[in-house]
Amino acid sequence: MLVQNILNGISLGSVYALIAVGFALIFNVLKFSNFSQGGVMTVTAYAGYVASRYLSDRLDSLVLFAAVLAAAAVSGAVIAAAVERLAFRRLRRTKSEPVYYFISSITMGILLENLITIYASSNFYSYPRFFATSAVPLFGVNVAVTDMMMFALSIAALLALLFILHRTKIGLGIRAACFDVNTVQLMGMNPDFLVTTALMISGALGGVSGVFLGMNYTLYPQLGQMVVKGFVASVLGGLGSIHGAVIGAVLLGILEIFFISWVGAGWAPVFVFIVMLAFLLVRPRGIAGIIVQEKA
Amino acid sequence: MDYFVSTVIFTGIALIGVLGVYLITGLTGLFSLGQAAFMAIGGYVSAVLIRNYNVPVVPAVALAIVAAMLAALLVGLPTVRLRRDYISLVTLGFGEAIVALLNNSANITGGAMGISGIPQLTTLPVVLVSVVVCLALVILYKNSKYGRQCLALRSDELAAKSMGIDVYRLKLITFLFAGALTGYSGVLFGFYTTYLEPAAFNWIISAEWTIIVFVGGVNSLTGTVLATILLTWLPEFLRFASEWRVAIYCVIVLLIVNYRTAGIMGERELSPKTLRRLLGRTKEAPR
Amino acid sequence: MSLLEVRNLTKSFGGVRAVDDFSFGAEQGEIVGIIGPNGAGKTTAFNLITGVYPLDRGSILLEGKELAGKEQFEITRSGIGRTFQNIRLFKGLSVLENVMTAADPYSPYGLFSLFTLGAAFRRREREVRAAAMEYLALVGLEKYADEKPSNLPYGLQRKLEIARALATGPKVLLLDEPAAGLNPSEVREFIGLVGELRERFGFAVLVIEHRMEVIMTLCSRIYVLNFGKLLASGTPAEIRANHEVTEAYIGKEDASCSV
Repeated sequence: MLVQNILNGISLGSVYALIAVGFALIFNVLKFSNFSQGGVMTVTAYAGYVASRYLSDRLDSLVLFAAVLAAAAVSGAVIAAAVERLAFRRLRRTKSEPVYYFISSITMGILLENLITIYASSNFYSYPRFFATSAVPLFGVNVAVTDMMMFALSIAALLALLFILHRTKIGLGIRAACFDVNTVQLMGMNPDFLVTTALMISGALGGVSGVFLGMNYTLYPQLGQMVVKGFVASVLGGLGSIHGAVIGAVLLGILEIFFISWVGAGWAPVFVFIVMLAFLLVRPRGIAGIIVQEKA
Repeated sequence: MDYFVSTVIFTGIALIGVLGVYLITGLTGLFSLGQAAFMAIGGYVSAVLIRNYNVPVVPAVALAIVAAMLAALLVGLPTVRLRRDYISLVTLGFGEAIVALLNNSANITGGAMGISGIPQLTTLPVVLVSVVVCLALVILYKNSKYGRQCLALRSDELAAKSMGIDVYRLKLITFLFAGALTGYSGVLFGFYTTYLEPAAFNWIISAEWTIIVFVGGVNSLTGTVLATILLTWLPEFLRFASEWRVAIYCVIVLLIVNYRTAGIMGERELSPKTLRRLLGRTKEAPR
Repeated sequence: MSLLEVRNLTKSFGGVRAVDDFSFGAEQGEIVGIIGPNGAGKTTAFNLITGVYPLDRGSILLEGKELAGKEQFEITRSGIGRTFQNIRLFKGLSVLENVMTAADPYSPYGLFSLFTLGAAFRRREREVRAAAMEYLALVGLEKYADEKPSNLPYGLQRKLEIARALATGPKVLLLDEPAAGLNPSEVREFIGLVGELRERFGFAVLVIEHRMEVIMTLCSRIYVLNFGKLLASGTPAEIRANHEVTEAYIGKEDASCSV
């Protein structure tokens, strides 16, 4: 039971990590928590579903699954780029405070969710089953194949992100933008390009997580409101810290699964809240421990 | 006509809730993503007291407001010392926890099915008087030492502390006042719809209220009132657009936030002074 | 007993000793200068005295009472007022309200008095307004009372910072580079203003400044900081004659450096 819970928690946490890392990435560059990610996730979950409907006759199992994920990731990146253009570009031109980005992004999230509601008219859809076997034994417990896939692919996506951040020029630019987005101009980079890329990366990650969430639950337009899990994880992790966000997300996943098995799904949020509050009081700087001291 | 009255009543109730968010966000610069939970607390406590325990109306309402303030104290005490970003996180978690709590104490609250059969006590005069009183209290608050210190803390917390402002205490007081207002709007809501369900109070509602405050103008109370009226009526005007209503609403909000970032009113207030200035200007214009 | 006595003030950030064992004091009515090159720890010393950062070691006595370890607002209310090097006025408030806000923490009325429009509230509100107008008049800003601080020119914003600090009722006033960015005639005017205020309120003034004109005219005692440590202290004449000080400031004489 314990092992089972931990494994389930880690796989759920790895999905949260995809969202949380997107938050951390954008917080680094633009200094706000990007709630439009929720809307992006909703859209991608449906995009993945549509792809699966079209492709299920032609492709099979793993290939189909990979194609669906790719479709979701690409659509996530495209929508995130559109969001940048529509909701953030002008605010950046006028050098607005981060709170306006925050407001703009929440509104954008609600808008995207609503467009999907219109499209799907609140019907519930569900993804096809991608794999013939649903569970395999591991460490003496049965682990769902989807859980394993979720875990493995999330890890792969996160590694890809770390590679981009630390081994490519654009990654260097994003890390530099952490200090000041406009100084990257001095390094010969276009801040627009940089911000758009960061958003597209986070959109692609959100796209993958959208499919996973859609598979885990049913597909419904409010699916994207799960974005708060990523927000919670990224804040607990220490704002802007990629590693902190991943750790925060996995801890959150494990906590949720444990509380669900102890006190039931209904009470779990109450206990998660209490643990979260206790954590913040004990360690107010978050997991990564970045403390921002204000200068007088 | 009934339809018109009900829209006015809903606008009034929303306005009282939004006033709470105005205190927290507009005046103090904090984000509460769990403000709707205080509305739930107000609504549920008054409903349960009256329905299940036959408590008379006035004490039930008073207890409901006290309960909302106690909840605000519970969230506020540990959080006011935390960084601003954490306050939105804690309030969000609190809001979700309250919704979960309501969902899972079915024997008292009716769980996810909600609670029904609440007496309909909210009438148009009740709402109008409530709005006037609440608005007056908030105007007083804004134009007193409290409001000035809140704005100071919003603009520069470190400098505010250096001017002798006890920012933790101030945040807590503001939180409590906001909790009371939002709780009361919940009471009015329950007594009007006669039915409450947990799903109506999730973080999206709190986010929408925050959006309304920003559309109104950075810290303008007049703007907040205008935006509340505009944005609660807008979906009604857009009824012809049926399912596209919320989408159009979002687009309008996006346009305002992006193209008129300071909001409808910016920092300006409608007061006798600005009125005079406005009139003075139009008088001078013909010359 | 000195009005303000600071002993062994010490603070490190990471491995860097920003302020290292700095002791100094100020008497009632005295104007004390703190000078030193950029990064010498002058502003950090102010931040330590006002409680922005906790001390690593040391003690801060105001009229014999320990301030170290207290909250920022408590320290201000005990009688330490300050201005900021990089002007930190309250943007959402008018010029007058900026000053009123600094007097507000002393207002005794509560929510009940406010919501019932009680006499305590109305009287205090009038008092605070009148007092704030008076402070504005002292620095010559009364005609800008209803402006937003951001609409004021730089020199006037500096004056507003001083008026706001006055409203906290300081026994010791800390001025952090108050003359930075002022033109020569404004500097002379400023020197006169600080002198007048000292006469009127009798408080002690600690001033950090790079403009030697200000320091040399106003201060009776000067402390020189370098790399967080006290390099020298004395009267303006003594400091001027001190070779170490000139070296710390402008380097050795053969260095081709002009400021």
